[in-house]
Amino acid sequence: MSATWHADDELFASYVRGDADALRSASLEQHLIHCETCRSRIAQHVEPRPLELVWDRIREDVQAPAHGPVERFLARLGLPESDALVISAASSLRVSWLWGVVLSLTFVGASVAWGGTRGLALFLAIAPLVPVVGVAFAYGPAVDDTYELAVASPYSGPRLLLLRTAAVLVTSIPLVLVVGLLAPGLSWTAVTWLLPASAFTVVVLAAATWVPATDAAAVLMVAWVCAVGAAAVRHDPAAVVDPAVLPAYVLLAGVAAVVLRRRIRHLTVVRRLP
Amino acid sequence: MSTPTTISLAGVAKRYRGTTALDGVDLSFGPGITGLLGPNGAGKTTLLRIAATVLAPDAGDVRLLGRTLRSTEALHDVRCRLGYLPQEMGFPRTFTGFGFVDYMAVLKEWTQRAPRHDEVRRVLALVDLDGLATKRVRTLSGGQRRRLALAQALLGEPSLLLLDEPTTGVDPEQRVALRQVLSRAGERSTVLLSTHQTEDVEALCDRVVVLDRGRVRFDGAVTDLVATATGKVWLADGPDPSARASWRTGTGRHRNVGEGAPAGAEAAEPTLEDAYLLLLGDRARAEGVAA
Repeated sequence: MSATWHADDELFASYVRGDADALRSASLEQHLIHCETCRSRIAQHVEPRPLELVWDRIREDVQAPAHGPVERFLARLGLPESDALVISAASSLRVSWLWGVVLSLTFVGASVAWGGTRGLALFLAIAPLVPVVGVAFAYGPAVDDTYELAVASPYSGPRLLLLRTAAVLVTSIPLVLVVGLLAPGLSWTAVTWLLPASAFTVVVLAAATWVPATDAAAVLMVAWVCAVGAAAVRHDPAAVVDPAVLPAYVLLAGVAAVVLRRRIRHLTVVRRLP
Repeated sequence: MSTPTTISLAGVAKRYRGTTALDGVDLSFGPGITGLLGPNGAGKTTLLRIAATVLAPDAGDVRLLGRTLRSTEALHDVRCRLGYLPQEMGFPRTFTGFGFVDYMAVLKEWTQRAPRHDEVRRVLALVDLDGLATKRVRTLSGGQRRRLALAQALLGEPSLLLLDEPTTGVDPEQRVALRQVLSRAGERSTVLLSTHQTEDVEALCDRVVVLDRGRVRFDGAVTDLVATATGKVWLADGPDPSARASWRTGTGRHRNVGEGAPAGAEAAEPTLEDAYLLLLGDRARAEGVAA
């Protein structure tokens, strides 16, 4: 079938713009099905850029990585998308780690509910170490797959470390707090553990300027568990968070913070690699 | 012709617990591709780590792009113009190929999402991985992961490109494709290429540095190193027991790399591999005498 009539430029233009009426649009569409000449002519009226833009958007949506729960949470807190991405590459921020925390705290909560002194000791032994472990596993040659690349990049090493630390604290401390507050019989202990937890976190960060953070965390963990154990043997595990010793944690945190501030630039070049 | 010096190492030394990785190395590099050859433990990786600002040397001076690395600002500026591919690297487990390069682009301070994603797509296309960008890294093959690792080094067209065995596990076709990418990079950037593949060096580099036990054994044009093997490579009907290396080739004749010509032998065109074997063979013989 050969068409003798052809659409004019004005009709094409108004059709492409979308302001041709329904009848004219329908008849043009009918005509286009059969007329090759008009098909090739209408193509010239179609702006290629919007098409490319649409295609780019589609490609963007398909290729751009889906944001994990941690990333989404951080973005909702107002953190720039790029910082959220940096945080999410930390191994300790995976959902599986959070589940690990939840699981261990469930056991602790249960033991607190059942076992009086022993349960209290267990809670005190574990709660302050949760953020410490998280921080230790957030940065460093032993745990970060891309550690060498991160060091060689212009992104500030201290910023990377502190961002990830902040993220670990934000995600783990509320969990421990909730467990502590829900468990019966903890009273002030449900909150006071935050002091040793903060002090130990700063100590690990300061120590990370000399040794791998994981080593520092391991030493701290052993020391803390021994301290709590010794107090528990004397039937008073809460002694480690006694009002009399709390200033010592504040002092420890302060000293470690000063050391961290003075040495934080050592995070930018490594002396040893595994 | 004088080319600008972009990497300058003077008396650079590094020891790890009793073993010497670099023993007072003096080297300088400018734009173009330099191959780093040497046996395992020769110090190639240490040299690249030092040039990549990842490792601080025990002694000696390092200047990159004309700057010492003493201030945080200098370090930052140099790192902005540096691309580095480590010899061994892992990937965050849950990342896709795109996600990994995107993360690296953030570390390289591409904070704006749209231009960053354009750049990520550009480097993925360079290494021919744009079709696999959405696959998780752990499902990629070894060669594909190696190309992904190379892609992040190419972000932002760095002035210094430090590549530690970029072609390990990459199939021949892809290796040739990567040569194209690297040779183009070598037109404006300083590329250091550590490798065990002498044919990659022969195909890409004008200059070659051979390291051995932390010292520079050879530094010069690839053609000059190849020329040292002229008249020392023979094709003969049988193996030559006095040769440094001797093997039966696919044609049935024996390729003998050594000083004297065996009876009935004809001279063969030497390759970089022959010259490399001869250069390091001297060491093996010296050790044999000493032992």
